[in-house]
Amino acid sequence: MGTRFELVLVSGPADLRTAGEAGVHEIEEWHRRLSRFAPDSLLSHINRTAATSPVRLDGDTFALFADAQRVRRESGGAFDITVAPLMARHGFAPSAVRGEVGTDGSAITLDETTWTIRFTRSGLSLDLGGIGKGHALDRAAAVLRGLGVTSALLHGGTSSVSAIGSSPDGRGWHIRLGSSAAGPVVTLRDQALAVSDAGSQRGEGEPAHLVDPRSARPAPRGRAVAVIGASARLADAWATAVAVLGRVPGNLPSGYRAVHLAGATS
Amino acid sequence: MTTRADRRTFLVQTVGALAGIALVPDLTEPAPRRQGAPRRLALIGAGRQGRAILAELQKLDAVEVAAICDTAPARLETALGRVKGAEGFADHRALLDGRSDIEAVVVATPTHLHRAIVEHALQAGRHVYCEAPIAATVDDCRAIASAAAAARTVCHAGFQGRSNPTYKRAQPLVSAELRTLVSMRAQFHRKTTWRFPAPDPGTEREVNWRLDPAHSIGLAGEIGAQQFDVAHWFRSQYPVRAEGRGAIRLHRDGRDVPDTVELDLTWEDGVVLRYGATLANSYGGQYELFHGVNGAIRLGWTHGWLFKEADAPTQGWEVYATRQQFFGEEGIVLIADATKLAAQGDLKAGIGLPHPPLYYALADFVRSIVEGAHVACSAEDGARATIVGILANQAVIGGRVVEIPTLG
Repeated sequence: MGTRFELVLVSGPADLRTAGEAGVHEIEEWHRRLSRFAPDSLLSHINRTAATSPVRLDGDTFALFADAQRVRRESGGAFDITVAPLMARHGFAPSAVRGEVGTDGSAITLDETTWTIRFTRSGLSLDLGGIGKGHALDRAAAVLRGLGVTSALLHGGTSSVSAIGSSPDGRGWHIRLGSSAAGPVVTLRDQALAVSDAGSQRGEGEPAHLVDPRSARPAPRGRAVAVIGASARLADAWATAVAVLGRVPGNLPSGYRAVHLAGATS
Repeated sequence: MTTRADRRTFLVQTVGALAGIALVPDLTEPAPRRQGAPRRLALIGAGRQGRAILAELQKLDAVEVAAICDTAPARLETALGRVKGAEGFADHRALLDGRSDIEAVVVATPTHLHRAIVEHALQAGRHVYCEAPIAATVDDCRAIASAAAAARTVCHAGFQGRSNPTYKRAQPLVSAELRTLVSMRAQFHRKTTWRFPAPDPGTEREVNWRLDPAHSIGLAGEIGAQQFDVAHWFRSQYPVRAEGRGAIRLHRDGRDVPDTVELDLTWEDGVVLRYGATLANSYGGQYELFHGVNGAIRLGWTHGWLFKEADAPTQGWEVYATRQQFFGEEGIVLIADATKLAAQGDLKAGIGLPHPPLYYALADFVRSIVEGAHVACSAEDGARATIVGILANQAVIGGRVVEIPTLG
């Protein structure tokens, strides 16, 4: 997923190192499965195959795609995992993306009865960059909880965070948003957080690194938002959607909230 | 290599005296053909490796995983969440007795439990894919090979190198390009405890069987055997002697199984494979390296390179290439479908295998079942390779020389 993951395990089973390795293994496994650039990943297999025949998925991956499609629908298309060719066209992704320049998330069909995915048109290239880190954190957190870990903080690239239990002082995990010391602080307890910043990773004068799938144009700079909720996967996807929309929609999932990095809370 | 593959393999230019040439696998072999309804398989043993197997089987349309068996309820539940509609079993005999529609089983239990399950499955008329190493004792290896010889069904040992397209590309080059083999090296470096979380202290030995001297065949047997078998296959010979040593360099957590091993496997002609494996350091990862008088071949499971000596004859198939920095040398990368990819301005997309190596071993197994194809790695092949691993581990544990009997 092109970033560094860190796991801080505070309390749980006696052998925290072994538990931590299991969490890291889970993240590595999802990296191998969801990488758009590794030819042997499951995602590459889907991108090569799903236009010609349905591809069978495991339950977790099916749920990931189901969530991605749900956020696409509920955000009016502001989040779309078929955005990869557009990202490449605008120079936000390597050019090794096959497929036509354009997005069409409606061309993804998920069959709940068979746990399969297929494309109803050719030329699609899925990119899970806006949801994959959150998914990997959710899965790793589930593994750690299953092993009895009661207090831990996990993050991927500092933009996706998952908190298990509370910090050692019992007051929750305090996370300062943005690079400014005056940035807002949120407190997580058994919650996840994801940040999407249309201006980060790019120099001054350069366009934002987010593309609005609806207009096929870069999203305006300066839109930075954090979404907090139970699932890092959903928070990840909704953070991208809110940054693209430029406003907090009224239909965020129940229990989720958005925080603008400028300080305004919705 | 086939003529077809040779035509697909090109080199533009040699850079420096010793250029790395990526080995171009033949990826034109189609997936096993589905004939009618998918053939039903079961997985026995749903740990980490079992779950990896499920992921690759899902890609093979010719088969469907209809049942999963594991003695641990949590592992079974996790695995059942990976396959829609699969039935769960806690006992492999109940699976074999209760699901006569299941034609084949993939055995991925702890190594020391393979023998009984493989024997039962073969006796029940099922095709069997047995993970490598196939057993933890020499007797069990021979018993599995005997059971397979007596069976009318396929018994495939999971030594993956023999199915890996990159390794299949490299195999004929060892003699054709390297000419006289000088030496071999291989390593497995990964910083990890090799320990798995046990749900409760009572399951510690069961879960961490790799660290239990009563059952473990150590790094040499569990990991090295896969790598040694590449040398067996390439040379069509087995080593005659193992000399080893081992130590615990990092994980002083009460274990007796060494976390670091070094050993030499010597062949009849005196050529030595020097092997190192450690759980204390990750540098260099996993590879096998073959040195010959005309060059060297380095294999890393998904990639392979040929390094030619300056005085080695140039082959006619060396035409198209792109350059790649490789351990300080500027080398030449060869890419499958180079002409087509170059036309698309997309040369680098062809580097690497489109599936993990495990996929190709399972695809070969399925191909043997549905198409009657030759078994890529027979139980006899698997038994020989595993015996080398077991004896190598004995050399490591004893810090001594172990003679390896003639294995064929």
